[in-house]
Amino acid sequence: MARLNTPAARILLGLVVPVLLLIWWQAQSAQGGARALAFVPLQEVGATLAAQIVSGFLLNDVLSTLSRALTGLLLGGLAGTALGVAMAMWRPLDRVVGPLYHAVRQVPLLGWLPLIGLWVGNGDATKLLVVSLAAFYPTVLNSYEGVAAVERRYVEVGSLFGFSPAQRFSHVLLPAALPLILTGFTQALAFAWIATIGTEILLGAPAGLGATMGVAQAQQRMDVILVAILAAALLGFSINHLFARLRRHLLRWQPVLA
Amino acid sequence: MIRRFAQGIAPLLALLLAWQLASASGVFPAQVLVPPSEVAATLARLWQDGELGDHLGTSLFRLVFGFLTGAAIGLAFGAAMALSKLFETLFAPVFQAVRQVPVLAFIPMLVLLLGIEERFKIVVVAVAVFFPVALATFDGVKGIPKAWFEVARLYRTPPLPFITRILLPAAVPPVLTGLRLGLTRGWLVLVACELLAADSGIGQMMEMGRQMFRIDVVLAGVFVSGLVGFGLDRSVKLVERRFARWKEA
Amino acid sequence: MTLHTRIDTPHVPIDTPANGALTIANLSKDFRIGREALPVLDRIDLDIRAGEFVSIVGPSGCGKSTLVRLIAGLDTDYAGEIRLDGKRIAGTSLDRGLIFQDHRLFPWLTLEENVGLALLNTDIPKPQRARIVAEHIALVNLTGFEQAYPHQLSGGMAQRAAIARALVTEPKLLLLDEPLGALDALTRVHVQRELQRIWLTQRSTMVMVTHDVEEAVFLGDRVIVMDAKPGRIRRIVDIDLPHPRDRSSPILHRLRDEILAELTGPQVDSQAPENLVHLPVREVRA
Repeated sequence: MARLNTPAARILLGLVVPVLLLIWWQAQSAQGGARALAFVPLQEVGATLAAQIVSGFLLNDVLSTLSRALTGLLLGGLAGTALGVAMAMWRPLDRVVGPLYHAVRQVPLLGWLPLIGLWVGNGDATKLLVVSLAAFYPTVLNSYEGVAAVERRYVEVGSLFGFSPAQRFSHVLLPAALPLILTGFTQALAFAWIATIGTEILLGAPAGLGATMGVAQAQQRMDVILVAILAAALLGFSINHLFARLRRHLLRWQPVLA
Repeated sequence: MIRRFAQGIAPLLALLLAWQLASASGVFPAQVLVPPSEVAATLARLWQDGELGDHLGTSLFRLVFGFLTGAAIGLAFGAAMALSKLFETLFAPVFQAVRQVPVLAFIPMLVLLLGIEERFKIVVVAVAVFFPVALATFDGVKGIPKAWFEVARLYRTPPLPFITRILLPAAVPPVLTGLRLGLTRGWLVLVACELLAADSGIGQMMEMGRQMFRIDVVLAGVFVSGLVGFGLDRSVKLVERRFARWKEA
Repeated sequence: MTLHTRIDTPHVPIDTPANGALTIANLSKDFRIGREALPVLDRIDLDIRAGEFVSIVGPSGCGKSTLVRLIAGLDTDYAGEIRLDGKRIAGTSLDRGLIFQDHRLFPWLTLEENVGLALLNTDIPKPQRARIVAEHIALVNLTGFEQAYPHQLSGGMAQRAAIARALVTEPKLLLLDEPLGALDALTRVHVQRELQRIWLTQRSTMVMVTHDVEEAVFLGDRVIVMDAKPGRIRRIVDIDLPHPRDRSSPILHRLRDEILAELTGPQVDSQAPENLVHLPVREVRA
């Protein structure tokens, strides 16, 4: 078992399962008939991937999906943070908006689609609204908790130095709440990403990874679906990674990072 | 307690009242806004018809079946990864890679593999439940402090009490949190599936309502799906509290 | 703004500072728990001269921390009078600095930024601020750590940084609420010496609450011994020794023993249990 600890052995063992899966997939595709429709041969997936890269089709999809997800994250995240902070600082608002927020939050996110569809149509506005909503929920909750949990002892220091309410907000409350606000954005990123792909699949779009998957499903093109999934996974992983780095930079003053 | 409840319910009632007044004002056409009283009437009618019950029953069956499957596999997988170094080395890379895919992106692929029948919906729910549960179980079992194992050795705790008195209580709270996450995730994904392709279920009911411009049916669906989401979340939270009594706050 | 030249020239005659005299008259403070009023401080009278170092000791619950918070202006709900140079205290002010047991440096700011933030609402022109901050960091011997975040400092360093932050506004009165309580014994001795040196340099009035009687007599011109429940002044001990003092001076030891006896002696029945270590019966084995 000791050999398990060398990095090379770990990488090799880690490759065993993926390689077996690929072999199994390829074997299925070789069976022909109806199976071949679902289990497309790997070389075909590779060819599709190459073709989509060369034609710029994939890039176009990636950029569309990315811009939808990030716009929604920004709109929903900023609105959510503003509301959460305001609720934590002003009790009456919390009393009125809090119950509404918690009631609305119970509806599964995409359950809003038919309603918003009736109101706004099935265009980009609906998608953006749902993605923003996905980013809105976690940022409200976390920024509220963040500001509500700011320790009194830090507020007292501010009052010793004669901070005005605005100074207290920008020099004490906001930086102290920043870790949780960023946690909210991390969660919002994941939800916005899922919501983007989901709304694209359900509503379709001129371009976008989810939209392409939806079309490919109707055309029974598993190779196209697999390329889109691969792109979605890589992209999701990269954004998460970048965001984690940004977060670490912004919170470099923290002794241990969660 | 009663006062807090009243304070919580008051804004909701105010919203309903404002909504009723807004729709009574006649500014909005009935396709855009119907009064809550009408939604309530539709809800009652759908319930008496048995239609709502059917949709709800179908959805809940899919959810429960998919949840149980996904949770069982997730628990076993997470525990195996936490306890066996070999298993972790073999499966962790695949697990981490597949985890990056947003669950809804699996839908088109699974439709091609499984068709759009019941099996597909149950598998999608199971997949949605599997990841958070497996992750929470892994973290829960891995997160048991080393010191506790040492304490057990110090007091020569026999294996059975060790498992029931130390391992389980320590791992259960995070695992329950994972189960709760999985349940809400499963419900979200199921409603999405039913919107996309189904002949019954709450999501399908809403989608039909949308296509027929029946906003009252859509709103009834929104209400019921919210109620289900609330009920699921609350019941697991109750269990969580029961098992986490030893924790502060 | 000649106020800040003092640090540059600590050898300037400093025998009688112009201000920083604290007068406390008939001060009482209750805490309300439900309908019951729990007296915390009961008719405190105390005059503190400008430039004096006063230590306050007493058992837990004698209200010494409450007293300090009232003087700082963090709590303005009290009966009686607290006046600094004749002006009644009704809120916090840059005239009065406070150092807590926990350093309370903002974890998201570097040492330099922490000290600088205290100057936010002073009328010192911006260009001078950096110099003043650097001087105060030098005063507590932390030059070289300007860019460190609080979690990178040791306990003693962080507490010294807190002292620099409290002094940077040049308060007339510096309050210290068990400032060294969280430090280990060796660091504590070291920071005590620093504190004495700083006080001799700055010569602002200092009022320090402490649990440590030895620390109280070592630093204080006077030691206020308090009673608990309700908090009253029991006795005021003059420590008539010149600064800087020798820690091993027999006079200091005698005074310390006397005050300790006073705090733990039989007269103070009601307090005695809190200062003794109890062994639970179960743990006493034959």
